[in-house]
Amino acid sequence: MTEGQRRSPGGSSGRPGRPADAAGGHAGAGPGADQLGALLGRVARGDQDAYAAVYDRTAGRVLGLVLSIVRDPAQSEEVTQEVLLDVWRSASRFDAGLGSAAAWVMTLAHRRAVDRVRSEQKAAERERRAASSAVAYDEVAEAVEARLDRERVRRCLGSLTELQRESVTLAYYGGYTYREVAGLLGVAIGTVKTRMRDGLIRLRDCLGVDP
Amino acid sequence: MRPGGGDPHTLAGAYAMDAVPEPDRSRFERHLARCESCRQEVRGLREATAALAAATAVRPPAALRDTVLRAAGQTRQLPPAAAPWTPARHRRRPGWRPRLAVAVAGALAAVAVAAGVVTFGIQGRLDQAQHRDRMVAAVLSASDATMMSRPVSTGGTATVVMSHRERALVFTAADLRGLPAGHSYELWLIGPAGTRSAGMINGSGHGRMVGPMVVSGLAAGDSVGMTVEPDSGSPRPTSPPLVLIGLR
Repeated sequence: MTEGQRRSPGGSSGRPGRPADAAGGHAGAGPGADQLGALLGRVARGDQDAYAAVYDRTAGRVLGLVLSIVRDPAQSEEVTQEVLLDVWRSASRFDAGLGSAAAWVMTLAHRRAVDRVRSEQKAAERERRAASSAVAYDEVAEAVEARLDRERVRRCLGSLTELQRESVTLAYYGGYTYREVAGLLGVAIGTVKTRMRDGLIRLRDCLGVDP
Repeated sequence: MRPGGGDPHTLAGAYAMDAVPEPDRSRFERHLARCESCRQEVRGLREATAALAAATAVRPPAALRDTVLRAAGQTRQLPPAAAPWTPARHRRRPGWRPRLAVAVAGALAAVAVAAGVVTFGIQGRLDQAQHRDRMVAAVLSASDATMMSRPVSTGGTATVVMSHRERALVFTAADLRGLPAGHSYELWLIGPAGTRSAGMINGSGHGRMVGPMVVSGLAAGDSVGMTVEPDSGSPRPTSPPLVLIGLR
């Protein structure tokens, strides 16, 4: 397992149900993102075919992210449904002036997942549940573009310092608060805040997604 | 108190990853309201996080697709940038936020941005704060929203944005005088329908701005007033209002 896929403490211990090498989706910017925005515009007007296309472009990424935070497969699918229904329901609220369509969808997904674990589970319990569940998800087919995106993310994560990378992955893939991350890493809260920001800035520049 | 000390600006990264719990989050959102470059930075960092999600994608079960598409077919969609319960006749074209930013510049900038944040993740949290924020967004985005500002006799400025259509107003105040322990500002609706408490204002006495508070249930001829009362609130105002804003 590479640095880029470390998600949280315990995350590297062969958690079941998580393909070690899942790929897929388009990273933030690029032509794929613009198409997604156009599709959302049609969804906002009630176009169900466009919604099916949005589903096909985002469901794998949403479920993957939710799984990495929530861990429990049944709950993760539940949250994923909620997120994707949010996309349907609130497509009219997407504002391209405030960011890409992919970022909008993934922000909804991340919030929902984080809300779920913060309201219902302690981190330790999350680990335990994950250990007792064994639903396997297939890897997303290795479309060339998806593979390039994944490689790019991995390479860019690799360009961060160790502490930046740990802070970012624990917060984003793990769903931990910055205080929890500070506790997990045993460093000062101020340090973690700075590393999260510096790390994301470096990622943003490396990925070339600055809006 | 600012946990960890230092520049609130440094929270941008944690905020972009939903790693800032309350009350720090609200505090940071107030900072965002005053800081265009911070909002720009958060947007850029969110793009980066969305790219991170590409690395964890999995193939969802086929049944999930059927379930979601069927559920969507049975789910009513929200109109643009208004509260979920707003009827479709209020449908407005997107883009109210820039206009609003002009109309509600200054005292209400924080509110407008709070509304923008909520719009971004409208269904994300269903807690009380979220409900309030949606009410704020509904009032601010109403086509008949009007803004009124009045000085408070003991210092500071009270600002109201109201909508007859939503039968609600959003109240904020800036630079209110700090109050002795055990006392808070209380809002009242005062009019032909009687004098009703509209709630205690939290956070008075520290920080430049208080609110936004949503007050609903407006009746014809109401004014909104503010008095100083014990923390527990009073059944009736115990003094003349420090500010009284007639609602037109």
